[in-house]
Amino acid sequence: MPLKKTPQVFSASIDTVTIGTGEKAVTLGGANVMPLYAFDAPIENKPALGLELSDAGYNAELPKLADFYAGAETLADQAKRAAALDGVDFVTITLNAADPTGENRSIEDCVAECKSVCETIDLPVAIQGCGNIEKDEQLFDALAEALQGENVLLLSAREENYKSIAAAAGLAYGQKLGAESAVDINLAKQLNVLITQLGVQPTSMVMNLGSAASGYGFEYVASTMDRVKSAALAQNDAMLQMPVVTPVADDAWSVKESIASEEDFPEWGPVEERGVQMEISTAAACLASGSDAVILRHPDSVATISALIAGLM
Amino acid sequence: MGKFVVIGERIHCISPTIRKAMEEQDPEPILKRAKEQLDAGATYLDVNIGPAESNGEDLMKWAVQLLQQNFDNVPLSLDTANQKAIEAGISVYNRAKGKPIVNSADAGDRITNVDLAAANDAIVIALCSKAGVPADNDERMVYCQELLERGMEQGMDPEDMWFDPLFLVVKGMQDKQKDILEFIGQLRDMGFNSTGGLSNCSNGMPKEIRPIMDSAMVAMAMQMGLTSAIVNPNDQRLMETIKSCDVIKNETLYADSYLQI
Repeated sequence: MPLKKTPQVFSASIDTVTIGTGEKAVTLGGANVMPLYAFDAPIENKPALGLELSDAGYNAELPKLADFYAGAETLADQAKRAAALDGVDFVTITLNAADPTGENRSIEDCVAECKSVCETIDLPVAIQGCGNIEKDEQLFDALAEALQGENVLLLSAREENYKSIAAAAGLAYGQKLGAESAVDINLAKQLNVLITQLGVQPTSMVMNLGSAASGYGFEYVASTMDRVKSAALAQNDAMLQMPVVTPVADDAWSVKESIASEEDFPEWGPVEERGVQMEISTAAACLASGSDAVILRHPDSVATISALIAGLM
Repeated sequence: MGKFVVIGERIHCISPTIRKAMEEQDPEPILKRAKEQLDAGATYLDVNIGPAESNGEDLMKWAVQLLQQNFDNVPLSLDTANQKAIEAGISVYNRAKGKPIVNSADAGDRITNVDLAAANDAIVIALCSKAGVPADNDERMVYCQELLERGMEQGMDPEDMWFDPLFLVVKGMQDKQKDILEFIGQLRDMGFNSTGGLSNCSNGMPKEIRPIMDSAMVAMAMQMGLTSAIVNPNDQRLMETIKSCDVIKNETLYADSYLQI
């Protein structure tokens, strides 16, 4: 019996959200099929890749990464390298040095540095906080105002600090905003409801549903994203139709496989290769589960993941 | 089966305010009631213009355009005994948010409303009755089959036939209530959509009792597989019950604010 192909195309679709400005602006989302199912219907906006920079600097102990950024002293110089790399759709700055329990850089310094990156490159910019709830709230408020007109993506507002971040980024200064929950479908929806109730348009928002390095409880991530996408598409749930942006780098580069030294585990091979493999496997799994964009740290990961996406679209 | 479809029943010419607004083609009272119902979570709005023998066609066209233009092509259920008025309504109807509903056909004189729905690619509410109240579920099923056959002969998708089990008043017909629930289960087992004037069950009861009785009925009927009902969406207890049942049935993902969306 011949195979009868029945495309699974939904009448609902993922919202489209654009970050950045001008020719290099990137539009996320828009699909009306399950993640990567380009064989069911064309996917207009392919999943996007962000390359992550940290204001605390890169890990110079990784030879290839050190080589890639060699000579780029400032964050703006590093951003220029990142932006020139094939496959990179946007550049992400993570403000690790702002953490009050660490270097505790001032808001003014962080804003100035982000501003210089935005002025240097024409790719869209996403900015991640330091993870401290209060500091991130102040940082995002200041960044939203200072970067008016850049249409940056601020990652992310959480349950504890969404009000002022949403008001600044989503309402007052016309930036894009991530709503972050930690692998919890009900909270993901609730946070979106709360932010939209403040008046923020769903098209100014993305979701960061949280992640885990592959092998570290990723099945929870997969089932969460799966449930979110099926609610968005099959149940036409407007409170879950925002595109999903997943910062993969931090999880992938924090697990034992990516940090244990080669001296301790000679049979595992070079640290850098292991880290890249963790990053690739996590990012590929996120894309298959429903991420509309992933944020990576290593140029080799970008090469592989962008080839994967190109091959599937 | 998807989320429960609430058809708001409050644009009805039995209401003096609405009747007057329809006579004078005064938009305000109708728009106000439409907004109240949509804000409360109605998906479809029923537009009942009564028998409307003289001016039904103009009136239905006016009402359809008024509501769809003001509320983003809200899907409508066109409710009148005047078939020409329903056709006129459909002729100006925008399908962007859902097909029009023909309200309603039965297995008796009004079976031609199935033909009307079929000819206009509309949904039809199909009352499983002929003349008066069916005696039991066997009789209901016979009417259901007659209606189904009529629709399928004319190429209707059975999904577009929303069967109405005929909700009966508890006060006086208490012994029939279990039958109705069981019939809804039979419709579900055959994969059919269903709807009906659910608040009929609490007819004649004190005002403060009706939301409680309607809520219990809708919860039990949803468990049996009822997919829609023609109700008052501004009955808060009823809407809270419907939304909670949708969550329990996993038709919508829970969030703490689920009652507000």
